[in-house]
Amino acid sequence: MDSRLANTWRLTVNEKKFIETALASDLRIDGRKPLEYRKLTINFGRQVSVPIFRPFFFFFSCWVLSVMEDGSADVQLGHTHVMGFVSSQLVQPYRERPNEGTMSIFTEFSPMADPSFELGRPGESAIELGRIIDRGLRESRAVDMESLCVLAGKLVWAIRIDLHILDNGGNLVDAANVAALAALLTFRRPECSLGGENGQEVVVHPPEAKDPLPLIVHHLPIAVTFGFFSTEYTMVVDPTHSEEAVMGGRMTVTVNASGDICAIQKAGGVGVPQSEIMRCLRLASDKAESITKNIKDAVEAFNTERMLRKIKRHSTAVAANVSIENDVKGQKDKLAGQRVNESSMSQMERLKLKPDESSISQNDGLGSETRSSDQISSQRAEGNAPLFLGGPSSWDPHTHGVDPDFLKASLAAQGKSNPKAEQSSEDSDDDVAMQEKDASEDVKPPSLATDSSETVEEQKTSIVKKTLKDAVKPKNRRRKKTRS
Amino acid sequence: METKPSNGSPAKFVDQLVVPGDVILDLSTMAEQTIKLGGGLRQDCDAISVIKAGILRFSKPNKYWVESSQKRYVPCAEDSVLGIVVDCKPDNFLVDIKGPSVAFLPVLAFEGGTRRNIPRFEAGTLIYVRVVKANPGMNPELSCVDATGKAAQYGALKEGLMFECSTGLSRMLLSSPTCPVLETLGKKLPFEIAVGLNGRVWVNAGSPSIVIVVGNAIMKSESLTKVQQKIMAEKLLQRVQQE
Repeated sequence: MDSRLANTWRLTVNEKKFIETALASDLRIDGRKPLEYRKLTINFGRQVSVPIFRPFFFFFSCWVLSVMEDGSADVQLGHTHVMGFVSSQLVQPYRERPNEGTMSIFTEFSPMADPSFELGRPGESAIELGRIIDRGLRESRAVDMESLCVLAGKLVWAIRIDLHILDNGGNLVDAANVAALAALLTFRRPECSLGGENGQEVVVHPPEAKDPLPLIVHHLPIAVTFGFFSTEYTMVVDPTHSEEAVMGGRMTVTVNASGDICAIQKAGGVGVPQSEIMRCLRLASDKAESITKNIKDAVEAFNTERMLRKIKRHSTAVAANVSIENDVKGQKDKLAGQRVNESSMSQMERLKLKPDESSISQNDGLGSETRSSDQISSQRAEGNAPLFLGGPSSWDPHTHGVDPDFLKASLAAQGKSNPKAEQSSEDSDDDVAMQEKDASEDVKPPSLATDSSETVEEQKTSIVKKTLKDAVKPKNRRRKKTRS
Repeated sequence: METKPSNGSPAKFVDQLVVPGDVILDLSTMAEQTIKLGGGLRQDCDAISVIKAGILRFSKPNKYWVESSQKRYVPCAEDSVLGIVVDCKPDNFLVDIKGPSVAFLPVLAFEGGTRRNIPRFEAGTLIYVRVVKANPGMNPELSCVDATGKAAQYGALKEGLMFECSTGLSRMLLSSPTCPVLETLGKKLPFEIAVGLNGRVWVNAGSPSIVIVVGNAIMKSESLTKVQQKIMAEKLLQRVQQE
């Protein structure tokens, strides 16, 4: 009880009296006029340099959480400081709305912002704030929900807006609303498409592969809060913290720039005549216009900078020596990403196939080939990066001319692991085996060469057969082979 | 808190930024000296170490403390603070001084205070008080009289506007020579001011507009240098006089 007494913010009698007397002569304690808004500053979180992207691929239960630098806004309204953060994940839609995404708002009132905020359950004001913003955004259908549908009835994007109150200087609703809007406008969700043989498999493209998509926001519902004082219908816009403690009632009007009223919330006990409400609505639409402009300007500036940053990143990637290596890796990652699902499935099959490898099916040869060529390219990329400078086809691990020395070295290592297979297929083409042996003598011990010569042969042919097509879509082909 | 010896040269730390963990004095090298420690310092055996970030201050002959600017106040004896009465109990008034716990103001701690003439403070009254005791683990104790038992300006503040600022700003306002904002404004505008070391400032004047001007000028000067403060205050005065 003692700590609570010390932690609640309280207003002195002097302050209360002063605010009322000053308002009688149209003065407010921070020097504003009654109908003046505080300065609104919007910043965007661009500090995060490495986007964290965690894709998981399953059949129907896709659970993708993307945490990126986009979709985070930091809004300061005078003293009030609110951070909005938007994230998305793939979920199953509600049964009654199978083809619409979902949007939810979560508020966090940190005790750092105001000593009267307590940790744990959200308080009354936290719930009210969340509801007002939720109503403004959802009921007015500001965000296009149908475009968030991936697979009707199965998978939709769920948008989550987190609002963190960092400092409480009064009028949290308006600041939080602007933060939510700014975060929504800059948020980008990863693009996803349907793939797989039945067309029901969802592939989420990482941001490097396909540019993430912005949300479709039809209009911006802006919340404007009015405070009413019991004395002679005195009314102020954008009340500060201490004015909030003195005022008898408040009304939040959510309007968009074109003057459509999206939501009204009236709290507190002071009665307000109809004419006053109409006046508030008119004032609110005026304010909404200027705030909308403010938000749009900030978002535009952010987007321009975003584009510029992207261009810069590309140009450095081409120019720099090391980045070629990265490029090769990126390509491979992309392929690996597409193949993750496939590989998790075929892992089982491969394991099954391992014991009777002596029969060397075409399928298994292909599988081991992809592995080995990956290995080679990574070796090349890491070890011989300078060699690749200006090389014409260094970007693709499958089509570039394979360095025979490396191939043999790596294959020899592989061959060593299952000598049983080699023994069984020793009696094939002797000429080629000898050739291989001669060529590879300088690289590795001859004993290994003889062991693995057959596998080398086998795999070399499959390399020759491969084209660019194989590199792009390996999974269909492989599955066909598995089935056959 | 008193410790015996002191001799070493802490001069290299004085008026410098210190952070928790810095050892500013080594008592084993000093003998036969008394030093007094203020807020933000702690004695670990022979070492005096810092427990909060701020600037180390030294006052001759032997006082050391750490000054920092923060939103919350850590009570310290002999500070003059502005408190808000929270509740009245038979023996004490409970007063909020922005500290970690409410402070007690004994009902008899007024000039000529007896059981017969207990002042009546309603909840929300702003009072200017002095911290008498500030021991860790106990509620701080306040008093409305100075050491000699005189009222000496302490007591309830009527009218006016109280606003909160950081403890650093209130210390700057109290520093001597008078800080430029107050000096410049005080030459042209008549106003009353009471500054509490706990980061509360009370301003009163004949008209609300003067109070608002002074209050905002003070709050703005938090991040300004002395010259900037003076320029800001002069510009403000010009604008006020034009209107």
